[in-house]
Amino acid sequence: MPMIKTLHKWLSLLVGLQLLIWLGTGLYFNLMDHEKASGTQNRQSVESPTVDLQLLIDPKTVLQAGTNVVSLSQVILLSHPYYLLAHEKGLYRHFKSHYSLVDAVTGKPFVITKTIATAIALESYKGSAKIISTVKLTEKSDDFPKEQNSLWRVNIDDALNTSVYVDAGSGRLIGHSNDDKRFVDFIFMLHFMDYASEGSFNNVQIIVFAIFTLFFAFTGLIWTVELAYNGQYKPALLLGRTLANRKMVDIFDKHDKSLGPLAMFAHENLLDSLLNHDIALPSTCGGGGTCGRCKIVVDSSVKMTSADKSQFTAHELKSGYRLACQHNSDELEQLTLVDVTEAASQELRLISSEFISPYIKELRFKSVNDRPVKFRAGAFMRFFIPAAKGNSIPAYLPAELLHHWQDVVHMEYEHLACSRNYSLANGDGQSDELVFTVKIQTSPNERVKPGIGSSYICNLAPGSTIEAVGPFEEFYALPSSGKPMVMIGAGSGMAPLKALIEEQLIQKNSSREIYFYFGARSQLDLIYSDHFQQLSERFSNFHYLPVLSRPGQDWGGATGYVQDHLAKYLATGLQKAQDKAEFYLCGPAAMMESTIDLLKDHGIGDNAISFDKFE
Amino acid sequence: MNLLKISRKYHRWLMLFLGVQFVTWSVSGAYMVIFDIDYIHGDSLVINHQTKIDPVKVNYPLLTLIQNYPDAERVEIGMHIDQVVYRLRQDGIEYLIDADSGQLLSPLNQTAAVKAAKHYYSGMGAIADVELITENPPFELSSRALPAWRVNFDDFGSPSLYVSARSGKIVGKRHEFWRTFDTMFSLHVMDYEDEDPSNWLLFWFVLFSLLAAILGLVLTYFRVFKADSEKEDGGNEHRSPGKKQISKETSPCQ
Repeated sequence: MPMIKTLHKWLSLLVGLQLLIWLGTGLYFNLMDHEKASGTQNRQSVESPTVDLQLLIDPKTVLQAGTNVVSLSQVILLSHPYYLLAHEKGLYRHFKSHYSLVDAVTGKPFVITKTIATAIALESYKGSAKIISTVKLTEKSDDFPKEQNSLWRVNIDDALNTSVYVDAGSGRLIGHSNDDKRFVDFIFMLHFMDYASEGSFNNVQIIVFAIFTLFFAFTGLIWTVELAYNGQYKPALLLGRTLANRKMVDIFDKHDKSLGPLAMFAHENLLDSLLNHDIALPSTCGGGGTCGRCKIVVDSSVKMTSADKSQFTAHELKSGYRLACQHNSDELEQLTLVDVTEAASQELRLISSEFISPYIKELRFKSVNDRPVKFRAGAFMRFFIPAAKGNSIPAYLPAELLHHWQDVVHMEYEHLACSRNYSLANGDGQSDELVFTVKIQTSPNERVKPGIGSSYICNLAPGSTIEAVGPFEEFYALPSSGKPMVMIGAGSGMAPLKALIEEQLIQKNSSREIYFYFGARSQLDLIYSDHFQQLSERFSNFHYLPVLSRPGQDWGGATGYVQDHLAKYLATGLQKAQDKAEFYLCGPAAMMESTIDLLKDHGIGDNAISFDKFE
Repeated sequence: MNLLKISRKYHRWLMLFLGVQFVTWSVSGAYMVIFDIDYIHGDSLVINHQTKIDPVKVNYPLLTLIQNYPDAERVEIGMHIDQVVYRLRQDGIEYLIDADSGQLLSPLNQTAAVKAAKHYYSGMGAIADVELITENPPFELSSRALPAWRVNFDDFGSPSLYVSARSGKIVGKRHEFWRTFDTMFSLHVMDYEDEDPSNWLLFWFVLFSLLAAILGLVLTYFRVFKADSEKEDGGNEHRSPGKKQISKETSPCQ
């Protein structure tokens, strides 16, 4: 099923516009004026006089004089009888043929000259006409592309630019064409993709598109059937909430704490229903079932859609994991939120904003409505950054940091609204403040804007407010155990690790061994160094292990990269404890990947590794 | 509701009603463009004989002919198998006359019709059955061609040749591919009787289909182009189901 959907998406890109052309031109054919389309507005039927056959010479004489005659027909051109001799006869009149004409009274050969062709054309023209030109076509006619025989084209000076075509061999009137017909022909050309104007719909490009469209239509149909099978087509869904009934659904947070029953519209998908109650589940696909982020846990008897099956493991499905966007309130009585406890949109007021390193700020927020935001250590909040003007250099730079910023390109720019996720850095549970550490992303050159979100939020003046949603709890300490915890972090990315450490030591007063490897460039970047030193002095089970890659002169600690030091410890000190340690990683992608590889090389299983990635 | 959601909702609902027709359009359209139209017309079923007229065999003079057929029109000399013949029309009826003897050959009897059909047929198959049609022609034959002999061949595609009982000419050449094409065309234009594209059923279907297709393109735009631009914007959304991971714009530390 996911393949069907992917195929449908990419095919839509490929054939979408052509499909619009097909439908648009199809509509035109449906509505068009057939008289205009025929090109015969100025055509009249030719009344030929009755021929006295007794006046004609015997055909035998003509046949004896001619050679290789397949058929001889008595025809009338310009009210005079002729014998039309076919020497080669196509299966149809427009196929390649070879004719000659003989005057049926005198027996003299007759040729369709320019004058004759013009006269034949005028005979079929309604009213009087002014001839612009009569030309013998040397190439295929655009107006009658299927004609394979040599033609005379008689152009007439009228409002429709009428052209009359006469077969140069037989004198037969091929037909009339004019601007109205040419327009219809153009529409046909579009519908048939006949860009070479061959008058055919058997060209390569339309065959290729037809085959793609075939797959496109079938994948769409299969998708529709699947939607129907999953109960996504219920009248109330279409008619909207005015007619929909309400239903109460019991909501629990991930700790099974009841959040009370919430009223939900029948048939409405749970992602939307929860949002109506300010419970914002993560979602990037907007309810398409493809991003796999709006996880909830429901009774395992709730049926699984193909989207559920593609996003969850068999074990998770059995435990009742489902995607909220794929289900509605009709299917269940209660649900448990997974990645969110009380993630609700709220106004936060900035209490303080301080530099803790040349480029990293510590921001302290409080909920405006004075209702403390409860969160689990490791959680993050999503900030809504409004469209605004930005400046690449912070407005209030302490004097001692000025020299760090003098090489940063000064830029003023405008940016659109966006949202950004930042991890909470506090986890001691001692205050109702929300603390974030945010590094201001500077621009590498003039063509690239600095980090919009980090610049905006770090430039906020204390006292101002910003909207955020959360907390989202996707990274957290595994259920309490006595196992040692090994944390590996770098830069401002250590925020969730700091929260986890504070949660363990201060909130839970845990006695489990905690190792914190913290990578930074120099002493200046070693944020919260004093704080961690104090913690390690206060709690003997906490080991603070800073590693600097470019230390200054007065550095007495470890140097190099955290991974290398971790490797040493894995090889020696931690070896015995390895199989029961839990690893928590948080930092840039490259560091994370090499660390995960390192851990796996030492036989550490996936379920012992938790990570939170930064980009 | 935003544009994405509105588009998704109505695209889905419209396609519930239009989806089968979209499949019908694409199947019938693909059939019509893939099969060569000349093949569909049955051009390959017949041999286009180019037998030349031998003037020696024309011994029945035109003057005698018009004494017997005083209101003759469209007189023509051509071949009927290996015989030189006159064909003419009088009072709307065609006549086939031996140009040598003046003997009236029409209407053709079954033997003559079968002989003509075999003469024109390009295939190798044997004749399955023969039938004279004088009224109510099958859908694949114009009533103007009547009376005609239908000669069915036992061959790939069940070909039928229609031989005019009056002129001896082939007036129809059909096989299953033509018959299917005809069905496909009526399905394509949604007129199941007259095959006329100007009908109200088609109008409403196309109108709603256009709407559904435009909504579909909005979805494509969001799914293909917007998804990319989010990523390029240094966006913070990261899709990796099943793994515990999120991404944030904070520090790529060091």
